[in-house]
Amino acid sequence: MAVYDQTTTNLLVVWRLASRPNARVQVMGAGLACCSLEVEAAAATGLLVREEAEPPKPEPPTATVLVVAGTITEALEPALERLHAELVQQGPVRVMSFGACATSGGPYWDAPTVAKGIRSFPVESYVPGCPPRPEALVAELERLVDSMAAA
Amino acid sequence: MTSEPSPRRGVIALIPDACTSCMLCVKECPTWCIELDSHPEQIEELGARPRTVNVLDDFRIDYGLCMYCGICIEVCPFDALEWKPDFNYPASTRSGLSQDTQQLARWLAESASDS
Repeated sequence: MAVYDQTTTNLLVVWRLASRPNARVQVMGAGLACCSLEVEAAAATGLLVREEAEPPKPEPPTATVLVVAGTITEALEPALERLHAELVQQGPVRVMSFGACATSGGPYWDAPTVAKGIRSFPVESYVPGCPPRPEALVAELERLVDSMAAA
Repeated sequence: MTSEPSPRRGVIALIPDACTSCMLCVKECPTWCIELDSHPEQIEELGARPRTVNVLDDFRIDYGLCMYCGICIEVCPFDALEWKPDFNYPASTRSGLSQDTQQLARWLAESASDS
């Protein structure tokens, strides 16, 4: 559906970890709700760098971390699912569930239109918080990126 | 980060000895993320009537659900819950975010840099 085509691209922001400038792992931020502000906060303090703000890397990324940050409404769930499917076709993907909403529905645990967390694809790591601190995002990203580089 | 993070939005730690298993936090939690198990025990002291107290068996906070509102800390009549600065406790499984009494008590003594 056209509306999902629009949404899928809008969901994504590509980041690089400032502390791992040479990692061939790209970080995809799927910002669905307020948790995405913590991703921005990490960028504001220089921990994350927006992809387009940097010169293009000579080598293409070999792996991807998908950060799902925010409430997954049932309306947006198919778009998220498709986004994940598209990323999987491009290479290895690890999913980070960032915050209570992406993990379990969080404060919206009994809302009829909210999915009780990510349920359509496997999750590599769950970062707790409502929202988690930006430092928690970066610490877990570093761990994921290092483990993917070692693999 | 250059500055030490504030204890807010860190973690909620438990002082098990201060908890009387009154269940106020469990009932007030908006997301029902606290689980508490206790059993009654008779205490008999010389010269006093026997009385019954609740003994805490297990106290769990599911940080996959917790919205860090601090209501549990506010309502606790015995100040058994406290904000602590640790923010770095991710898990590889959903159930790994549920923290037990021992871990909650461990956070009491820890600062953010220890984790």
